Amino acid sequence: MTEIELLSWARGPGLQIATVIFVAGVVIRIFEIFMLGRKANLAEAKGSEMSSGLKTMITRTIPDRTTFKRSSVTIVSGYIFHISLFIVCFLSAPHILFLKDVIGFGWPSLPTAMIDAFAVVTIIALLATLVNRLTNKVMRYLTNFEDLLTWFITFLPVVTGYIAFHRIGMTAPTLLAVHILSVELLLVIFPFTKLMHAFTLFIARWYNGAISGYRGVAS
Amino acid sequence: MSATLEKGINALKRQIDSSVAAFFSSCVHCGLCAEACLFYTETGDPKRTPINKTEPLRRIWKSEYTLFGRVGKMLGLTKKVDDKFLEEWQELVYDSCTLCGRCSMVCPVGNDIALMIRKTREGMAAAGQAPEGLIGATNRSVTIGSPMGVKWQALRAQIGHVEEDSGLKIPVDVEDVEYMLLLSSMEIMNFPEFIEAVAKIFDKAGVTWTISSEAFEATNSGIQIGVSDIAAELVQRIVDVADKLRVKTVISPECGHAYMAIRWDGPNLVGKPFNFKVRHILEVMDDLRQQGRLKTATKESQKLTYHDPCQISRRGGVIDEPRRLIDMISDDFVEMPDGGKMNWCCGAGGGVSANERADEIRLKVFERKKAQLEEVKPDAIISACSNCRIHLEDGLEEHNMDIPLLSLTESIAEHLAED
Amino acid sequence: MTDINNEAHFKRELESLDDLQQRRVAALFVNHVLSLGGDKRLERVVKTASDEDATSEELAAALKLAHAVTFDSHARCGAEGHWDDQAGYFVARAAVAAVTSPGHSRAGGSAWQAAMSARMAYTSMLIDDDTDQHSAHTECEWQYQCLSDYLNA
Repeated sequence: MTEIELLSWARGPGLQIATVIFVAGVVIRIFEIFMLGRKANLAEAKGSEMSSGLKTMITRTIPDRTTFKRSSVTIVSGYIFHISLFIVCFLSAPHILFLKDVIGFGWPSLPTAMIDAFAVVTIIALLATLVNRLTNKVMRYLTNFEDLLTWFITFLPVVTGYIAFHRIGMTAPTLLAVHILSVELLLVIFPFTKLMHAFTLFIARWYNGAISGYRGVAS
Repeated sequence: MSATLEKGINALKRQIDSSVAAFFSSCVHCGLCAEACLFYTETGDPKRTPINKTEPLRRIWKSEYTLFGRVGKMLGLTKKVDDKFLEEWQELVYDSCTLCGRCSMVCPVGNDIALMIRKTREGMAAAGQAPEGLIGATNRSVTIGSPMGVKWQALRAQIGHVEEDSGLKIPVDVEDVEYMLLLSSMEIMNFPEFIEAVAKIFDKAGVTWTISSEAFEATNSGIQIGVSDIAAELVQRIVDVADKLRVKTVISPECGHAYMAIRWDGPNLVGKPFNFKVRHILEVMDDLRQQGRLKTATKESQKLTYHDPCQISRRGGVIDEPRRLIDMISDDFVEMPDGGKMNWCCGAGGGVSANERADEIRLKVFERKKAQLEEVKPDAIISACSNCRIHLEDGLEEHNMDIPLLSLTESIAEHLAED
Repeated sequence: MTDINNEAHFKRELESLDDLQQRRVAALFVNHVLSLGGDKRLERVVKTASDEDATSEELAAALKLAHAVTFDSHARCGAEGHWDDQAGYFVARAAVAAVTSPGHSRAGGSAWQAAMSARMAYTSMLIDDDTDQHSAHTECEWQYQCLSDYLNA
């Protein structure tokens, strides 16, 4: 297979397959959650479930002071990685162009130099989270194969994207193909792992807020 | 599979609903919950990380309620739940957790981990993996009516003393009153002056109330051990009597888990809403204060701080009421660091103090509360749960700290205006 | 001659005692029920409470000791409660009341509190006792007599 053929496959059938698996997987996982249902609360309410649930979906983003002091490395490295990854994924010109093809519209991008810098920040932050995961006593205890796998499939697209952009090591088409394939790998494995938290955390936070809010406690 | 292991697994299955599924789906192994849990912070043992305690429930969720997990189970790739595994987890689920809920407040993805641990207990208990002390307490609750074996004649005797001491009559089995007071065995045995305090407050406020000779026990061992059927039976006894006497409100006394059991779990356990309200004694006193029926004349001279009983404050929603009441009797009140809904657990609730095997760890984790107290340096600690009170006293004594524990209800009664 | 035979009179007389008298009367009440407990440490507490020359350091030490006995003797949450053991707890509480300084005593004064706890100790023994040998009232009556004798001495 020539490198052009590889790139065509990655951009074409490869992407289609990966997207279908991704979307189907995410939908099934979310359906699996909701189909279980939850019994209505028969106790006399002290506060509102819905508004407290909605609030917690947002407020849980901010840790309380004591938690922050005790887990600052985890929290800071986690936030830096998430935010810079978001910027690199959704505010870089080539990505926006690609998404415009898929969904029909785009949006303004950030200057290339900035995206480049954020890509480096993302890589460093991801490495930091890995080191944290392997050295922090609690995280080390909790960490399993899935944690390391998901780290890897998240790291790979960022690194291969950076390499592809800077044309390091191989020819442009191959590097791009590798980058796109790494994204497809991420998409395909995503629904079967904890990466689902990207969607389900909103559901979990809602439940948390609802349960607390029913009892009159802001969570 | 033995009959009990099968019951355990089935019990775990029944506990899984959409909230549990959302929670397990979202956990990213960040470990923040560990730093919120005094059983981890004071022992440094990562196996006590809250989300780790739910592993039995997680394995069942994964292998029974996710497509990927079910496929994995067919291929023999899933982690098993067997007697050996559950036995290993007993110490984590019962000895190392009070269901205090601090973990549920800090989890960044929003998991209510304390709820998940409570649900895990259902499986543990059905599989025969609950600690001896709790099994005994639960049996006594079912057969005698109190986890500590306190019968009506004992309460009757304590009531006699209270009437002697106060000169007030304690109403028993009176119908059509505003309030029916429940009592925990701990109060009846160790702090009968609580009954006297309530009697005095209600007398001054002109409240109509009663105690029932048929169902006076507030403590619900079923909740602590994690057997909903038993918890429901214990609640039903109270419901039957409250309906029979046609009371308007049932009062939960100074016991944390009793409040959670009757106020928030109760109707869900018995399957229908109550015909009466349920309020904590603190809520009742705050109500009376608002109506101008609770008047105090004197104040405490010592510097006070408040220990929030977890099931009343963070898990129960009664956070501001005690502070408004303390305001009535104190000009020198200081909050503990993290006071309020994020206050640290005393370490003894949720069945931990009923479990002798957990004695050592219970005293160890008290050091978290000790650290808070060392920052605040109060003259006395006020609280509203007799189990917290006894355990804090134990811990303070062990560490040679001379800080008396006061009951909020008793303190209010002591400073009541004569008229 | 003072002759006490009812509760109101008993309480009034107790409240009119000064601090030292309260402590010594309280010590008498506790001493009478000491055998219902079992903890030898309380004997030392009673001794200090009865001593009219006890210094504030000695009283503080006695209070600490009495508290320690209450912690060791209270019923554990969820454990099977034994009322005869609980008697020991109330004896310890009576001892605590006896050596609590006047400013920190609960309502009614230290002697009254000691009297109440001593009675509870006695009643605790009766709770699980199915025979009708004793009645709670005898402890009451003994206390009335004890106070009358003290006042008449």
